[in-house]
Parts: sequence; structure tokens; C-alpha cells
Amino acid sequence: MLFFRSEEAVRQWCGDGGHPVRPLVGMEQLWTLAEAWYSKRLDPDYRRPKPAEVIEMLHRLGFLGEFWDPTSKALG
Amino acid sequence: MDFEASVKQAIYHSFVHNSRGPSVDEVAGRLEADREAVAEAYRSLASQRVLVLQEDGESIRMALPFSGIPTQHQVEVEGRRYFANCAWDALGIPAALHKPGVVTSRCEQSHEPLRLEVSLEGPEPSPWLFHCLVPAAKWWDDVVFT
Repeated sequence: MLFFRSEEAVRQWCGDGGHPVRPLVGMEQLWTLAEAWYSKRLDPDYRRPKPAEVIEMLHRLGFLGEFWDPTSKALG
Repeated sequence: MDFEASVKQAIYHSFVHNSRGPSVDEVAGRLEADREAVAEAYRSLASQRVLVLQEDGESIRMALPFSGIPTQHQVEVEGRRYFANCAWDALGIPAALHKPGVVTSRCEQSHEPLRLEVSLEGPEPSPWLFHCLVPAAKWWDDVVFT
């Protein structure tokens, strides 16, 4: 889970390493993910979300498709 | 709060205030608890994916979003510097602390430095991107690689 300067940099890095290019996420969208995932993490009564709750959260934030589905077996 | 939750809170307290993970002995001292009971709580929290332990089975590699070891992703909040496990966690630290911060990292391709201010409302406008190679279904197969 890395930062890149641009889409061109992602494509170059993936090409050099023989990696597939995965969905690109901007900083504002990453913030929505970070906030949803971590804003209650330090609370004494925090509990890890169940898989169905993770799926619902990702869908709500617009992280759609096989790549973001924690139950998917489609991608290696 | 049960004992395991107390251990978890003591661990996070150390990360927040000392920027590092506490040893089993430190937590045992803080809670005035039996060392082996604390070590067992560490293992239990790791089995629940709350912590990631190092190979010695006791040192904390990750208490997400905090990293127990230095990484390329750093976050400064109120003058204190934290290490994050990844790009996601770098934004996760200000989110967890509910405080503004400054993320510093780099472009993995060009190694160009990143400096990103994060307020309580989110990051400043930025063209930078986040890319994750590992699909969500496999994040925990090798979370250190992920």
C-alpha cells in the first residue's frame, strides 16, 4: 500500500515489476477509507468489524469491484 | 474493561504518547499484572489481527495504524513523529488521533518526497495516488507485504 506521484508513476512501477495495475485511489478517497477504518480504533470499546460490515463500508465509500471484495476469490 | 482490553489500551497509550510499542514487561508493570498473562494477551490480540508481532512472539511490529519499527511513512502530529505501516495507515494516524498532522513519505517509483498536510477534514488537495497491489481478500495472507 504505497504512494505514487502520478498514474504514470504507478504504471511504470507496475510494468518494471511485472505487477498488475490495481484501482487507483486519490488522497481524498483514501482519507474516507482511513477515517472509516481508524477513527474509532483507539476507543476502549472498539471491535473489529465483521466481514459483512467491511463490505458494506467499502461499498458505501465507493470501493467497488472484485479487488475491494474481502470475500472474493477472483484475483490472485 | 476486561484484562485483554486493558492490555490493548496500554499498548495504544504507549504508541500515542511514546511513538513506540511497549514491551510485555512495560505493560505488565503499568497494569501491575503477571508478565505471562500480558504475553498471552499479546498473542490473543495478534490472533484477532489487532496486533502483528515480530518473530520473537512478543515485540510489536504493528498496532494498526502504528508501526513498531521505522518505515518510509512518517506522520507528525503536535510535534510527535509516528511511523505508519503503509500509505493507508499514514492517513489513518491523524484519523485515529482526531488531530491534524503532516504525512511525509515518497513516490515508490521516483522516490520523490511526499509532504501532505492532513486537517481534521482530510488532506489538502493533492494529485498524489494510493496504489495497493494486494486484493482485499488477501490482505492478511502476508500483512507485512501488503
